[in-house]
Amino acid sequence: MTHQTHAYHMVNPSPWPLTGALSAFLLTSGLIMWFHFYYTLLLIAGLLASTMTMFQWWRDVVREGTYQGHHTAPVQKGLRYGMVLFIISEVFFFAGFFWAFYHSSLAPTPQTGGQWPPTGILPLDPMEVPLLNTAVLLASGVTITWAHHSLMEADRKESTQALLMTIALGTYFTYLQLSEYSETSFTISDGIYGSTFFMSTGFHGLHVIIGTTFLTTCYFRQQLYHFTSNHHFGFEAAAWYWHFVDVVWLFLYISIYWWGS
Amino acid sequence: NRAKMLRNLLALRQIGQRTISTTSHMHFKNRVAEKQKLFQEEDGIPVYLKGGIVDVILYRATMILTVGGAAYAMYQLAVASFPKKQD
Repeated sequence: MTHQTHAYHMVNPSPWPLTGALSAFLLTSGLIMWFHFYYTLLLIAGLLASTMTMFQWWRDVVREGTYQGHHTAPVQKGLRYGMVLFIISEVFFFAGFFWAFYHSSLAPTPQTGGQWPPTGILPLDPMEVPLLNTAVLLASGVTITWAHHSLMEADRKESTQALLMTIALGTYFTYLQLSEYSETSFTISDGIYGSTFFMSTGFHGLHVIIGTTFLTTCYFRQQLYHFTSNHHFGFEAAAWYWHFVDVVWLFLYISIYWWGS
Repeated sequence: NRAKMLRNLLALRQIGQRTISTTSHMHFKNRVAEKQKLFQEEDGIPVYLKGGIVDVILYRATMILTVGGAAYAMYQLAVASFPKKQD
């Protein structure tokens, strides 16, 4: 008996977990060298190494699924569980930053002038660009759902158009946020307000960029005919991630931009 | 003058409509079947090298960067741990 008697995919031994771990070491020691000695070589090496690792690791997953046929129904179920658990872990990551925000804003101390926003802090107007950003992300949630339905109906042209629109909206959000960052009268070092604002919105923005990259990868895979009308888990994973990013923004907008202003 | 502008605008609109419907995206061919054949060949090559010479180059570059970089990082941390005395 030389074949397996279970349904799970036993991957070929791979070097990417090792290079990923070493890249993490380069990133962390690189940050130390940058913070303490203004020396950036290690950090750049870490960023390059982690990018190369991610590219090759996910390239291999595409090869194993699309080209080698390993992503059978039971295997795909495992991939779905995996993506769900990962997103849940990200929810907990953001929960920490929201905890910090509510801890300080619900019971303002004398250090903040006994009020929230703290004395001297001029928050951004929630009815201006932040509201536009909310509309942009909500619209992108609609376009990605449109793209998914078009994909399931094998409408190649509409699926591609809707996906491109989603990517454009995500890029527009990032552009608007960056311009807002240059407009704030406060910085990350302006007390607890600055810290909670920029840590929360900053990590959210990073996740928007990651999500946009994931969607762009889906666009290229779609052009290369990787997706079929009933097997396109990569696309679904990207869509789930994108909705997660949208929901985090809604919490950010309501808590920090609106209630916190 | 205004009539001329309107006529030009309508003509421009027609051109725009024509070009968009034919060449809005790069035309990729469906090469999935070829890729499936390549990656299913029973040659014992692991998936991370199975694509060809570019895979090997990328693999070597990544290993050199990470292993070499980690060794260099440890060296730098050792140097940073023993600061030079100031005269």
